[in-house]
Amino acid sequence: MPAVSTRSTKIAKKSSFYLGMILLLCFCLFPFFIMLMTAFKSSEEAISTNPTFLPKEWTIQHFLDIFNPGIFPYLTYLENSFIVSMTASVISVGIAIFGAYALSRLNFKGRITINASFYTVYMFSGILLVVPLFKIISGLGLYDTKTSLIIVMIVQTLPTAILMLNSFFETIPKDLEEAAKIDGLNRVKVIFYIIIPLSFAGIVSVFVYCFMVAWNDFLFASIFFSGAENFTLPVGLYALFSTPDYVWGRMMAASIVTALPVVIMYAISESLIKGNVTDGGVKG
Amino acid sequence: MFKGKRETSDGKFALMLLFPSIFLIVMLIGYPMLSNFYISFFEQPINPNLAAKFIGFENYIETLRDIEFYKSLGITLLYTLLVVIGSTLLGLYVAILFNRPFRFRKIARSLIILSYVTPSISLVFAWKYMFNNGYGVINYIGRDILHLFERPPLWFDDPTSSFILVVLFAIWRYFPYAFIAFLAILQTISPVLYEAAEMDGANIWQKFKAVTLPAIMPVMLTIITLRTIWMFYMFEDVYLLTNKVNVLGIYLYETAFAFNDLGKASAISVLLFLIICTLIILIRKRVNLNASS
Repeated sequence: MPAVSTRSTKIAKKSSFYLGMILLLCFCLFPFFIMLMTAFKSSEEAISTNPTFLPKEWTIQHFLDIFNPGIFPYLTYLENSFIVSMTASVISVGIAIFGAYALSRLNFKGRITINASFYTVYMFSGILLVVPLFKIISGLGLYDTKTSLIIVMIVQTLPTAILMLNSFFETIPKDLEEAAKIDGLNRVKVIFYIIIPLSFAGIVSVFVYCFMVAWNDFLFASIFFSGAENFTLPVGLYALFSTPDYVWGRMMAASIVTALPVVIMYAISESLIKGNVTDGGVKG
Repeated sequence: MFKGKRETSDGKFALMLLFPSIFLIVMLIGYPMLSNFYISFFEQPINPNLAAKFIGFENYIETLRDIEFYKSLGITLLYTLLVVIGSTLLGLYVAILFNRPFRFRKIARSLIILSYVTPSISLVFAWKYMFNNGYGVINYIGRDILHLFERPPLWFDDPTSSFILVVLFAIWRYFPYAFIAFLAILQTISPVLYEAAEMDGANIWQKFKAVTLPAIMPVMLTIITLRTIWMFYMFEDVYLLTNKVNVLGIYLYETAFAFNDLGKASAISVLLFLIICTLIILIRKRVNLNASS
């Protein structure tokens, strides 16, 4: 039997744990708190040399401003970001489902090699490819088009999407597939009727990953676009706020609205994955 | 006989399913990686219609003679080292903290991940505002409330304080990745092992060394390797936060798109690739040695 701890040490232990947790959450969330509060402050209050944590007067003017095309082309950027991220993620996930199925279920020569090369590719990308991709995109006549960013985002997310889906597919029992085949489903139908529905939560989380990468990308968007009409949110905001007349409240409002879609999607995909290792194992 | 037939059809079917993935990856990752080598031997004129001039190793010599390259390399290595250590340890610590049931566990976990999913641009604005010299809340807390400093550093205008900020930002932003990975693996460790160690009279540290560490080692190795690669190639977080910390990603980016020297930028890419390969081999060796000793 382990030593019996007294009631008071138990309470002390518990409260120090919760205190640590609160400190940790403060560390993690403080910038978000400041972002949120500043978005609701008046412009004068935001640049007061005696900063306050809460707005003295709450205003939603900054949120109205960013959605007012006369002041700010935020809606154009938002739309561009949506088009690019949505198209790239749908295509990437679509292609990855078939690739991952082949890698996780089929026996063929070179399977291990292909798997290993996807791993390698997953590790080396981004800034290393900036120059040649820029040349390829210019060569194809796609410079300053959304298509350029969509294509590059598909490829930037594809290796990870395949590897993630591969590990989700591995968890689906092979017997189910065999049974379906005996019932007369061919392999293509197996993918659509068995694999995709059973790994739905996994597919959603891969989709969210792809969307997040495309939504957050600044590097490629900054070199592929020259005209503001194609700007996605990160480049658009960066270009706009590089001007000397900052309006902090507006910047914070824009930051929040820019972060919201990915945060919401992430929360949804988290709640879909029930009983995975991260949430379930505690009981054991 | 039956098996043989099945394997050939598998091969064709697999090729069909994998073709789009392989095609895209070869064309837009494999080919560009190789074309870096090719481009690096040429001087690329700013006008894309003019022909590139073959100049051999000139771009490499120019880069290796550039004092800025070495400064940048030093900064990048230090940045990578600090962020990898900081984010891995913090992630591990928080995962251990979370590896027990408590109220609000799920919501706390989601809140911690927030910095990892939010776009850099949003986070950068918040940090720039918080660390602003005139009305930033950090100066206010540090100087007026806690009296930590008399004259606050000019956060984004001074190379040292900018460097500290950039490292802090990256640790804050990326530790959740390590946290999630560690938490997942910690939850697979059977409590029986800890009980057994306790019976043998192990203290907390001994339990960690004997039970936790061996179990999390493979995950730790992966996290360290991947984080090293990602930090070494970092561009946007640093670029968006400050212009005082010239990491290699920025050095490359500016060579390519501010000075329009694509040939030299390709040479830099090749050099970065070689450096990161060496680093990875070193990390793997070092950690393996530790594990076996």
